[in-house]
Amino acid sequence: MAAGTTWKNIKKGLGFKRLFWRIFLTFWIASLAVMATTGYVLINEYTSTEYNQRFFNDVTAQAERIVWRYEHEVLVDGKAKRKIKEWIRQRENRGGQLIPMLVYNAKGESIYHYRMNKVPFEQRIEQHVYGPSNTRYTVLVRQPQAPRMYKQVLYRFQSIQFVLIFVACALVSALLSWTIVKPITYLGAFSRRYANDQTIAPLPAPLLARGDELGDLATDINFMVGKTHEAASAQQRLLHDVSHELRAPLARLQASAALIEQNQPDNRHVKQIHNDCHRIDQLIQQILNFSTLENTQPEEQVCDIAALCERILDDMAINYPGIPTVLTPPKGTQKQRLIRCYPEAIHQALDNIIGNACKYSDKGQPVSVAIESTSAAMLIKVTDKGPGVDEKEIEKLMQPFYRAGNQMHTEGFGLGLSIALKAIKKHGGSLTMQSPSEGGLCVEVSLPRHGKKTAKSR
Amino acid sequence: MENEKINVLLVDDDVDLCALLSEFLEGDGFSVHAIHSGEEAVNTLLSSNQYDTVVLDIMMPGMSGLDVLRAVRAEKQTPILMLTGRGDDIDRIVGLEMGADDYLPKPCNPRELGARIRAIIRRTQQLKAPATVITELHGISLDIGARTASVKGRPITLTGAEFNALCLLMERAGQTISKQEMTQEVLSRPLEAYDRAMDVHISRIRQKLSAVGVNNVIKSIRKVGYQMLTSPQSQK
Repeated sequence: MAAGTTWKNIKKGLGFKRLFWRIFLTFWIASLAVMATTGYVLINEYTSTEYNQRFFNDVTAQAERIVWRYEHEVLVDGKAKRKIKEWIRQRENRGGQLIPMLVYNAKGESIYHYRMNKVPFEQRIEQHVYGPSNTRYTVLVRQPQAPRMYKQVLYRFQSIQFVLIFVACALVSALLSWTIVKPITYLGAFSRRYANDQTIAPLPAPLLARGDELGDLATDINFMVGKTHEAASAQQRLLHDVSHELRAPLARLQASAALIEQNQPDNRHVKQIHNDCHRIDQLIQQILNFSTLENTQPEEQVCDIAALCERILDDMAINYPGIPTVLTPPKGTQKQRLIRCYPEAIHQALDNIIGNACKYSDKGQPVSVAIESTSAAMLIKVTDKGPGVDEKEIEKLMQPFYRAGNQMHTEGFGLGLSIALKAIKKHGGSLTMQSPSEGGLCVEVSLPRHGKKTAKSR
Repeated sequence: MENEKINVLLVDDDVDLCALLSEFLEGDGFSVHAIHSGEEAVNTLLSSNQYDTVVLDIMMPGMSGLDVLRAVRAEKQTPILMLTGRGDDIDRIVGLEMGADDYLPKPCNPRELGARIRAIIRRTQQLKAPATVITELHGISLDIGARTASVKGRPITLTGAEFNALCLLMERAGQTISKQEMTQEVLSRPLEAYDRAMDVHISRIRQKLSAVGVNNVIKSIRKVGYQMLTSPQSQK
């Protein structure tokens, strides 16, 4: 069962329904989307503007050179076309890059053309340059286009960055998610621990002083814990006061009854008063025991279960002299008898269980207490040979004030087993009952040997 | 002593209950004086020797019964019977360890209270009666007439119940005495279920003896009772 629980926890921890993953993925994807879009737009804008700028600079520079040549050489000797073609060849030979363009002079005569034949008219862009003589020339070039190759290179360059961004975003999102989820998880764990153990240390001050919503939540939880404490101690005080207040008049009642008895030794009603006083007193004690178990968190101690049972059986021998008892201590060393528990509570639980066994046994029929010990648990089996309990009634037996149908005439209040069950559950143990068809009742108590705290973490 | 009434000091904060109990106990042949606060009880007890026994309620506002017990035991060995809440095992054990002689759960039947007071007085007086007899073993000597104990000349302080228990064990050294018998002999009442009085008295005696260097002379016999060894045995 322990392994199953662990796996469940892991699955739960990894589940994508967890707030951590939700916050993480939302932030991660959102930040990636925002960054990618911004990056794309910016880079695109930047590259096309820059490319155009450079392109037109180049165009202007080249056109100005052409114009310069045209004015200084071509216009002087009139051999325009040849001269320019020679210049072009020279430039090509030197490996220089020539931009395809058309240049017209102010009269609209073509003075230069280079690879512009295939460029459709709608893609041609008109520029103007001024020659040394300050005359205006028209230059036609192809509309600038960032080349496809260049885009791919750019994309690749971007993708390296992108991996870095990807990772950085993941880290930041994880950190963000963690800082939100961690205090929530802590508060959850705190509430769970508090439910099991009201004596744990309060919430740490830094968490309370956060000032944000989580800080508020922590403050609210702290407030609730305080209220719970108040309520528990108020209940404890109330019970204590009530029991004291009930017992004081009870003591007076008993003293008055004794006085009547002193004067009228034969008064048969006095005996009834004494009996009922005793009964009320016992009932108050049982209710007190029941609620003490509910509201207190005593210290765990190491306790010898076999010795404890022996003491209980000694007491039983005095209370039920006709019932022989048999104790089978656990096999093995003295260490096998030890258990970490709240001794008072366990004593009470076992006392109630063994007491019941003795109470419902017929004279001469033995009650046996067998203890078995493993490394993790202590198993205490109490078997009697009394009338047993109806299968249907077994569950109900552990409810407070319930008494089996065939036992209404026996002394008691029906609290014994509820107290025992409560005490055992407080230890993280279990109580089961079996009534075989041939009669008798077997009550099995299983207690973790190393205390409640370890039992929880397993 | 026989014809004199037993003087009982009743200490309980419940005035009405004190009145009822006093009336009952007086009808039963005791002379009772009731006091309703711990402080007053300590003052009365420390300033006078007229009381044969004290019935002390543990649960009192202000100075509790245990505080009274501590203050009185520091100076006097007057037998004290404490009234404890039912199921208050801790109070009982602490009370017995502080030197109370016996306890009775409250509310109790006043007849039982009368019987307990008589039991306490009986064993105190019964042991006062014989002429001085001195029993000695393991260096412990008991002066039964004076009810004093000493170890190798150094006196040790024992309460009435402790003295009686030690006396019984020493008189029958080498024999195992059952808890039932010890309770009957020492506390003059039958052993009850959940009754740890004898165990606490024995553990107190062991502590006191151990403080003066006498160890392992009283042996616990499992499921039966206790035994005073005739020769000291080393602990297993």
